[in-house]
Amino acid sequence: MERILITGGRVIDPASGLDGVADVAIAGGRVAAVGRGLDRSAAGRVIEAEGRIVCPGLIDPHVHLREPGQTHKEDIASGTRAAIAGGFTTVCCMPNTNPAIDTPEMVLLLQHAIARTARSRVFVVGAATQGRQGERLAEIGLLAQAGAVAISDDGDAVPTSGVMNRALAACSAAGLVFMQHCQDATLTGSAPMHAGEVAQRLGVAGWAREAEEIIAERDVRLVRKHAGARYHVQHISSAGTIEIIRRARADGLAVTGEASPHHLILTHEACAAHSPDGGGWFGDPMAKMNPPLRERADVEALRDGVADGTITILATDHAPHAGDEKGLPFEEAPFGIIGLETALALYAEALVGSGRIGWGRLIELMTAEPARLCGLDRLGLGSLAVGSAGDVTIIDPELSWTVSAADLKGKSRNTPFLGRAMIGKPVGTIVGGRVMLDPASGELADEAALAGVVAV
Amino acid sequence: MGGAREATGSGFADASSGPGVAGWSRPHLLGCAGLSADELRSILTRAERYEPIATMDAPRGEDDRHAQHAACEVLRGRTVVNLFFEDSTRTRVSFALAARRLGAQVVDLTLAGSSLSKGETLIDTAKNIEAMGASAFVVRAGTSGSPAMLARAIDRPVINAGDGSHEHPTQALLDIFTLTAAIDRRGAYDLAGLTVAIVGDVVSSRVARSNAAAMTALGADVVLVGPPALAPGSLTHLAHEGSPGRVRVAHDFDAVLGEADAVMMLRMQFERHKSPAIASAREYRLGYGLTAARASRLRERAVVMHPGPMNRGFEIDSEVADGARSLVMRQAAAGVAVRMAVLEACVGASERAHG
Repeated sequence: MERILITGGRVIDPASGLDGVADVAIAGGRVAAVGRGLDRSAAGRVIEAEGRIVCPGLIDPHVHLREPGQTHKEDIASGTRAAIAGGFTTVCCMPNTNPAIDTPEMVLLLQHAIARTARSRVFVVGAATQGRQGERLAEIGLLAQAGAVAISDDGDAVPTSGVMNRALAACSAAGLVFMQHCQDATLTGSAPMHAGEVAQRLGVAGWAREAEEIIAERDVRLVRKHAGARYHVQHISSAGTIEIIRRARADGLAVTGEASPHHLILTHEACAAHSPDGGGWFGDPMAKMNPPLRERADVEALRDGVADGTITILATDHAPHAGDEKGLPFEEAPFGIIGLETALALYAEALVGSGRIGWGRLIELMTAEPARLCGLDRLGLGSLAVGSAGDVTIIDPELSWTVSAADLKGKSRNTPFLGRAMIGKPVGTIVGGRVMLDPASGELADEAALAGVVAV
Repeated sequence: MGGAREATGSGFADASSGPGVAGWSRPHLLGCAGLSADELRSILTRAERYEPIATMDAPRGEDDRHAQHAACEVLRGRTVVNLFFEDSTRTRVSFALAARRLGAQVVDLTLAGSSLSKGETLIDTAKNIEAMGASAFVVRAGTSGSPAMLARAIDRPVINAGDGSHEHPTQALLDIFTLTAAIDRRGAYDLAGLTVAIVGDVVSSRVARSNAAAMTALGADVVLVGPPALAPGSLTHLAHEGSPGRVRVAHDFDAVLGEADAVMMLRMQFERHKSPAIASAREYRLGYGLTAARASRLRERAVVMHPGPMNRGFEIDSEVADGARSLVMRQAAAGVAVRMAVLEACVGASERAHG
């Protein structure tokens, strides 16, 4: 593998407390040196990065790669291609596949598929309960031994306090974070969107904030009694949930919260499409997600929560669905949108553009913080310290571009951001010293598998 | 009452210019939200012209025969397809009669559970029928917004005959058509100063949503009445921005009785409730049933309406439903004339748009 030298960029490595113009050298798949005026002669390839941000490879701790079982929507190859295009060198995939990733054997099978076809690093999140049914605990200890980096029944909350109590105990013993999809299904049923005036206008049932807050509140109560338990609220949608996390963190609990790009940008108004040539309204399935888009005050509270340090994780909840599926009427269409290829610019717009945080903190939220959440820092991810994994993302923070279906690299096109003008784009993605998104050509590397390179 | 008026002139449509309603240019009717008062009036005015022949069981004389023949020219050669993915009796029959009385051929499909259960989507079903030659689709669907999605996918007029809990625009139009006849507001169709109470399972009701939008656009104030679970406060946003009328929500039916000029009772839609929204029939009836005792406390000239089908003895007593104040049968009759007007308006707009 050739030695790579990235020169003259603004190197932001929050894990090392570094933010300044420097060169980064990668050799043998690892970071070899960071500093000014590094020797160019030894480099097999020099990447000029003046005016660009050079940072540890971005990490997304919450994606759905749909493999096994729903590979018409996405698979490991296509999902990680999207990750690379979006600047992500590492993703953590949720276990709500078919079958669910609820046994160590399933983790090993998935890791085998990852080793064969993934373009980025992929870590597996194991299910909390058998078949994700919320009743009988999965073998959380064995899942951890097999390499699961977190535990979650994402897509559903663990419904009862009793099972949740045992899940937290098991996660605490295994040293894994529990990631909760907070939704009291007895309150929401299958409601497709936020309970509010837009739902009333569309004539559809509403999914109220309390359904998220009640589960978060319940879980925080349980976390208090489990020494060492780490608990994470996925894709926060409600201002009230942020307050619950803020209090828990103030009490010293290991509780974290996550914000998704769409919840930082859009409101429930995005669900309402008007019928210009016939009166009436209809729901837009592209804006249907779970938890749902809420109101402006929730968007602002999320941004504030990131700014004041309550929310420390950004995650896309990349949820691909085929066109036919998202073409169904609003109430019948599946929840979720893709996010990997649009995330960085949307975070930048919502958080940096709004003045909440600077690029330094944004990079920290996308590298060092998720690495710690999933224990990936121990593997040398999320950092550019010498000896760390040679995972680097190069960002042009000023690049203007437009989201276009034709340019997306994943299998699915389900995003409400098609046609949106964006500022800021990853232009180079390097995984384990291998250039996967070439900053010179703008092309993804050919389909050579990363087997052996990504195994850390 | 609307009464039997003479059909005007020699015909309803000028054969050379084709069907169409002055003041209406939309190819679809998907909902009342967003329709202007003038658009609503243009449909209602045309319905008045059709009223004398709309429910005619047999012609009685040369004039009747002549009027029927003239109406039959309006959509002659067209095919109207009724696509009903949910059960319906009066709406389906009413649309079929309306289309036939305008001279169209009618394909009448009730697909409740059949086509979709084979995995074919609503859009596929409609596209297949479109390919065989259809001039317009009348669609009833269980999910909100699906007629609008269909309208985007196919090239023919789509008329919403009720979608989930969203809208049922022709029901609102016929309700207004009936109400204005009963209170002598035909012609201008100005509902200013009127208070209409819509009572019951409002949250599940497409009839309530369409009526709230249309009646407030024409100037009425609408009070949505029901227990909090069935009439939540967020429903006050159903009035369209800029509408002269207001929508408000009330939970005390008795307090509303004395101020309503019309009371529209809604059917309790048990099938749309994920879990029981009311504790029991008797508790609901006590608070929100239009009993004979309650009806006696209505204003002297107040009228009672119900879109049907009625749960007699539950949301409305038979003696009220069949009583002097009741417009229920007139509502059913008005449906045909209103739907004739809607079919002509949308088919006409679509054909003009296609050149």
